[in-house]
Amino acid sequence: MHRFANPARFLRIARVLTPLLTLIGLGLAAAGLWIGLFASPPDYQQGDSVRIMYVHVPAAWLASGGYLGMAIASAVALVWRHPLAAIAARAIAPVGALFTAICLVSGSLWGKPTWGTYWVWDARLTSMLVLLFLYLGYLALASAEDERHGGDPAQGKGAAILALVGVVNLPIIKFSVEWWNTLHQGPSITLTKSTIDPAMLLPLMLSLAGFTLVFGGVVLMRMRAALARTRTAARGRRLAEAYA
Amino acid sequence: MTHAEFIYPSYALTIAGLLGAVAWSFVAMRRAEAAVAKERRR
Amino acid sequence: MTRRAGLGRLRPKHQRLVLLGAALVALGGASALALTTLGDRATYFYAPSDVLAHAPEAGRAIRLGGLVERGSVIKAGVLTRFRVTDNAHEVAVNYTGIVPDLFREGQGVITEGRFGANGVFVADTVLAKHDEKYMPPEVAGSLHKVGRVG
Repeated sequence: MHRFANPARFLRIARVLTPLLTLIGLGLAAAGLWIGLFASPPDYQQGDSVRIMYVHVPAAWLASGGYLGMAIASAVALVWRHPLAAIAARAIAPVGALFTAICLVSGSLWGKPTWGTYWVWDARLTSMLVLLFLYLGYLALASAEDERHGGDPAQGKGAAILALVGVVNLPIIKFSVEWWNTLHQGPSITLTKSTIDPAMLLPLMLSLAGFTLVFGGVVLMRMRAALARTRTAARGRRLAEAYA
Repeated sequence: MTHAEFIYPSYALTIAGLLGAVAWSFVAMRRAEAAVAKERRR
Repeated sequence: MTRRAGLGRLRPKHQRLVLLGAALVALGGASALALTTLGDRATYFYAPSDVLAHAPEAGRAIRLGGLVERGSVIKAGVLTRFRVTDNAHEVAVNYTGIVPDLFREGQGVITEGRFGANGVFVADTVLAKHDEKYMPPEVAGSLHKVGRVG
């Protein structure tokens, strides 16, 4: 664990990975969305509305995958007091919240032409909305705590604990469509099978891979920004003490 | 394309969100790292 | 070094790990309990079998969902009559209004409304539920003929 604890080592790796993940990710996402919009077949039931899947599913994946990442980073921050972990959790939160919002809005725009409604309070849609509130709660708590601790994210514990408590929502989102009757359909892709035609699976996979890489690149950028700000702040404090 | 009034807005929103996140984080990173580099030169 | 009992014996890092693990197990247990208690109440709709097993009183608003029984749809102007089935039981539904594009025989549907005195479900809202299969029309056409209602 402590081999990665070293911010200098992290920065060396991150400087290489940031442009790599971002640019490859943008390329794959562009290809996926282009095929999804113009070069893939309509669905036998939904017609063209199925194209919303290529933006909705990656957003939904990043919303819940991002939350899991944030929770793991929070656990590492709480147990190992690893400074990079607290920075990582704070870097993921706003990006995860953004994709949760995109998931909700694109899902709403998909629901109207297919189900006949923008919104229902079924278990899947409601638990996804709860995820957005968990992200927003985390962001508010983290910023309040960091302000109290002079901008040091490793000091506060409340936000990390909130992130961990919120993890119970992830299996609820995942299994809501199986535990309860919902308007939202069941999973199309499981470990063993897919009920999506290959012609539609290709743009979906490209877009999923692309969005995930870009997400990684953006999180690295935000971590680098946070690390740089910590250094500037530390230097400012040292100078202030030296001249005091 | 049928239902274009739902499909295009969902793509526009998602692409804007993705590119916006990249641009916003890139600017924040460059600004913060430039400040460190400037101090080091001093 | 004196050996202390319990958590105090562990290094602080391991203490925190044990505490966190215990907290997560407790949280998981509490959530599982809460979800079990919540049970059916988080359900968005009832299937015909549920409704026939525990009949709601006439006039109470409920959601009824299932498949639109093949061959059951009769349209008369804005009135649509059909039967909702879960392949075990079926319920006759009357709906006045425009049904969604995806409302088709053999496809999922969720209706909101109430039972009339004659046992017919009068729906105020009809939502189409679609399944987890996605394929181009050519592929679907070669698998089975998809009948479009209306």
